[in-house]
Amino acid sequence: MLAAPFTAEFLTQLETLRLRTRKEFLGSQTGSYSSPRRGTSLEFSDYRRYTPGDDLRYLDWGIYARTDRLYIKVFREEVDLFAYVFIDASASMAFPSLTGKYLPATHVALALAYVILANQDHVKLHLLQNTPRAPVSPFYRGRRRMADCIDFTTAVTPAGPLDLAASLTEHLQRLRRPGKAILISDFLMPAAAYQQGLNLLRGSNLDIVAIQILSRDEVEPRFPNGSLALIDSETQREVRYQWSANARQDYQAKLAHHNLEIRSFCHQSGIHYSLYVTDRDLSDFIFATLPAIGLFK
Amino acid sequence: MEFLNPAALLGLFALPLLLIPYLVRRKPHRMVFSSLLLFLEAGANSSRPLGRLRLPPIFFLQLLLLALLILALSEPVFSVRPTSIAIVLDNSASMQALEDGKTRMAAAAEKAAGIAVELGPGGKIDLYTTTPRLQRIGTAALGTLEAGAAIRSVRANDLGDPPVDYSEALDRLLRERQYQRVYLVTDHPAGAQGAALRVISVGAPKANLALTAFTVRRTSLGSARLEASATARNFSAKDEKIKITIRSDSAVLAGRDVVARADQSVEVNFEGLPERASYQAEIDSRDALALDNRRFAAAPSSRNLRILAVTPQPQAAASLRAVPGVSIDPIAPADYQKTDRSSYSLEIFQFAAPASLPDNPALFILPPGKNFLAEPGAPMGNPQVSNWRESSTLTRYINFSLFRPAYARPLKPQTAGEVIIESPSGPLALGLERNGLRYLVLGFDPLPYLGRENLPMSIFTLNFLDWFSESGALKSQATGEPIALGAVRAGDQIVTPVGEKTPLKIGADYFFDTYRQGIYRRQRGSEVDLYARNLADTAESDLRAPSPIDLQDPTESKAGGSTLFSFWPYLLLGALLLFLVEWFINPRPVARGLRRRQTV
Repeated sequence: MLAAPFTAEFLTQLETLRLRTRKEFLGSQTGSYSSPRRGTSLEFSDYRRYTPGDDLRYLDWGIYARTDRLYIKVFREEVDLFAYVFIDASASMAFPSLTGKYLPATHVALALAYVILANQDHVKLHLLQNTPRAPVSPFYRGRRRMADCIDFTTAVTPAGPLDLAASLTEHLQRLRRPGKAILISDFLMPAAAYQQGLNLLRGSNLDIVAIQILSRDEVEPRFPNGSLALIDSETQREVRYQWSANARQDYQAKLAHHNLEIRSFCHQSGIHYSLYVTDRDLSDFIFATLPAIGLFK
Repeated sequence: MEFLNPAALLGLFALPLLLIPYLVRRKPHRMVFSSLLLFLEAGANSSRPLGRLRLPPIFFLQLLLLALLILALSEPVFSVRPTSIAIVLDNSASMQALEDGKTRMAAAAEKAAGIAVELGPGGKIDLYTTTPRLQRIGTAALGTLEAGAAIRSVRANDLGDPPVDYSEALDRLLRERQYQRVYLVTDHPAGAQGAALRVISVGAPKANLALTAFTVRRTSLGSARLEASATARNFSAKDEKIKITIRSDSAVLAGRDVVARADQSVEVNFEGLPERASYQAEIDSRDALALDNRRFAAAPSSRNLRILAVTPQPQAAASLRAVPGVSIDPIAPADYQKTDRSSYSLEIFQFAAPASLPDNPALFILPPGKNFLAEPGAPMGNPQVSNWRESSTLTRYINFSLFRPAYARPLKPQTAGEVIIESPSGPLALGLERNGLRYLVLGFDPLPYLGRENLPMSIFTLNFLDWFSESGALKSQATGEPIALGAVRAGDQIVTPVGEKTPLKIGADYFFDTYRQGIYRRQRGSEVDLYARNLADTAESDLRAPSPIDLQDPTESKAGGSTLFSFWPYLLLGALLLFLVEWFINPRPVARGLRRRQTV
C-alpha cells in the first residue's frame, strides 16, 4: 500500500491514462506506441504489392476485386515506450520546504511514471544535481516497480546549485534509446540556461514534456514589508531588497513574464509545457491540466 | 512674513534626525528564497552593504508634520504696514561699543531710521530713549523725515541700563499711547517677542577690558601723602596684559603693568601721588568699549579739616586741635546763624542743634530734646556697649569692652539712619546721609580729646574725623547721580566734562545732568569744586553675553490695532490633522498588538 496521494483509487485512475508521443520511436518489444517500422498492429499504414510468401490474411480483397491486382495491407508496428523523467534536485526545489515543493514535484513525476509503468512501458528516473555522478535509476517496467520509483525519489535530498545544461549533458551521455523525456523543474534560472538544457534534450531526439513546479510562496511571496536581506538558496548570494506592495506586484509581473518566456519557448520548440503550483490538487493537475496540453491520449 | 520666535526655526536642523528610526528599522530581515533571479532582474536593489535608502511615504508625512510643528513654534505672522509706531532707542553706555568701526548706537540709529522709512510718508513715529529713564523725545509725533533726524541726534549716555521691565513698560506704552507697534532697538539679544512689541538687536558678543573702580585718598587724616587704587576687570576668556596709568590733565603720574586673568579683576595700588585737582586712571586697551577704559577721581578734601564747633564748652572742642591737620573754630550756639560756614568741612554741635540740617557734614553730640534727628533718652552712667556696626570706619580698631563713656543718653531716632553703636537701652551713635552729606548723632560726649589717656574714645574720635573727611570721596560717584549743590549764589555754574556750561539757579539743591563720565567743575566765584562721575554699571562693560530681552504681548488685543496676522494656530491645526492621518495610516505596534489579542 502506497502513501498518499497514491491511493488505490488514484492509481486506478492513472491506469486509464496513456502517454502520447509526438515522435515515433523504435521500441524493444511490442507495445502500444507507433514505430516507424511496419508491423502488425491494428493501425493501417499503407499498401504494397503482394509478393509470394506474404501472409494472405493481409490481402485487400476489395482492391483485388476492383483492379484484379493483389495488394497487401501494411500496418504500423506498435512498440513499447522508453521514458525518462528528469527531476530537478537542486536546493531551490526544497523551498520553502521539502514537502512544499520537492515532494509535490516527485508526486507529479511518480504519477507520470505510474502511467508509464501501468502501460508496461519503461521508465527511468534522473535526478538533476551538480554532482559528478548524479543519481539515475535503472529502467523500471510494470506496476510493481512503483515502490522502487518512490524509494528512488525519496532517497535524495535536494541540495546545491544546478547547471541544467551540464547536468543534462551528463545524463544524456548515458542514454541509449530515444523516447519520451519529462523534465520537472522550477525553471528559476536564466532563459539561456533552460533553453540550452531543453535544446540538449531536443538534440537527443526525445519527445519532451516540461513541467514547471512552483510553490505558492514563490508565486506570492509573503515577506514582511520593509528591508529584506534575501539569500539565494542555491548560491547563498545575499541581496538587500525593500519589500512593499509595489515590490510584490513588480516581482509577480517579472515571474509572469519569466513563465511566459518558458511557455513561448516550449511552444516554439514543440515541447509540452505546464505549470504546477504545489498547493493545487495533484489529481486535478494530472487529470485535467496535463490531458489539456495533449500529454495523454 | 516674519517670525516672532525665530529661534524655533533652528529646530529645522534637527529634522534629519527623523531618518534615524528609519535607518535603525532598516536592519533587514534575513530571508532565504529559492532563487533571486527575479529580484536581481528587478534591478531596484543591489548587493551594496547599505543599499539604496528607500523611504516610505509615511516618512514624508511625518517630515511634513514635524516641519509644520516647528513652523508653528516659530510663530509666523503676516505683517501689515503700521501707521503709528514708537521706536525706543537703547542709549545706555554699552551702545558706545564699536562694531566694525562704528558704534552700536550708530547701527541702532540706522535700523531705527530704516523702520521709520518703511513706515511711509503717512506714518507717525514717537521716539523714546531708555536712559536716564524711558522718556519720549519731543512732545508731538514725528513724521518720517523728522524722525530720521531725531534718531540721528540721539547720543548714548554713560549710564547703565535702567532697572526696567521692558516687557511691562513697553506694553504700558503700547496700551496707553495706542501704538500699533513698538520697536526696542538695543544691543541686548531678543528673546521671545510679541506681535506688536518687537526687539531689534544690534551688536555681537565681544571681549572687553574695563576699569571698574578708581579712588584717590589720603593715607590718613591730615596726611599729605596720597594713595590711589584702581581695579581693572577682564571680560574675556583669555588673560590680558594691561598697563594702568594714572594721569592728571596730560601729565603721567604713575603706571603699572599687570596681568588681568580671564574673567577676573585685578586691583592695583599707587602710593605717593602728588597733589592735583583731579586724576584720571586709564588702561591702554583698544577694545570695543573705550568709555570704561578710563575713570576719574577728584582730589580728596584738603588735608586740613576745618571744623566749626557750636558749643557752650569751647575748651572741650578746642582739644581737637591736638589732632594733626585739624583746625577748629568754636562759637556759641547763638552765633551760629551769623557765622559764614561755607569754608568749613565739618560742623560739630555739642549740646546744640540747628533748626535744619546744615549744608556741611555735621556731628551732633548729645543734641537737646525735641530735635529733628534723634531725641535723647534717660541719662545713664557708664553704659555698656552691646552691639556695634562691624566693618565701618567709625568702629574700626576700637576695643568696645573698654569703651565706656562716663555719661550717655540713648537716642530715639526721628529720621532714618544707621545705628553705629548700641547699648541695651538704645542706640548711642546714629549715622545718616542726606544729599550727599554725612551726619553723625552721638548719645555720649567724645570730647574733650584726651589722646592716650582714653584710648578707646580717642580712637573713636579719630575714626569719626576720618569718616567725615572720607565724605569728600563722595565727590566720586556714579554717572547719573546728582551733584548736591548746597547754597547756590548768583553766577554759580557747572561745567560738564564735555565743556558745556550750565548756570545754576538759586535755590536749586542738585545738579542732575551728570550723564557723562568725567570731571564736573562747579564754579563758585573764584572757588572751583570738582566732582567725578564714572560709569558704575559693570554689566555695561561685559559685552560678552548681555541678558536677552523677552517681550510678550499680553494686551495685544487692547492695543490700537494689531498689524500682525498670526497664523501659527492654523499650522498647529494642520499638524494635528496630519498626525491623525499618520495615526490611521501607520497604526502603532500597541494598537496592532491589541487587535491581535482581540482576534485571538
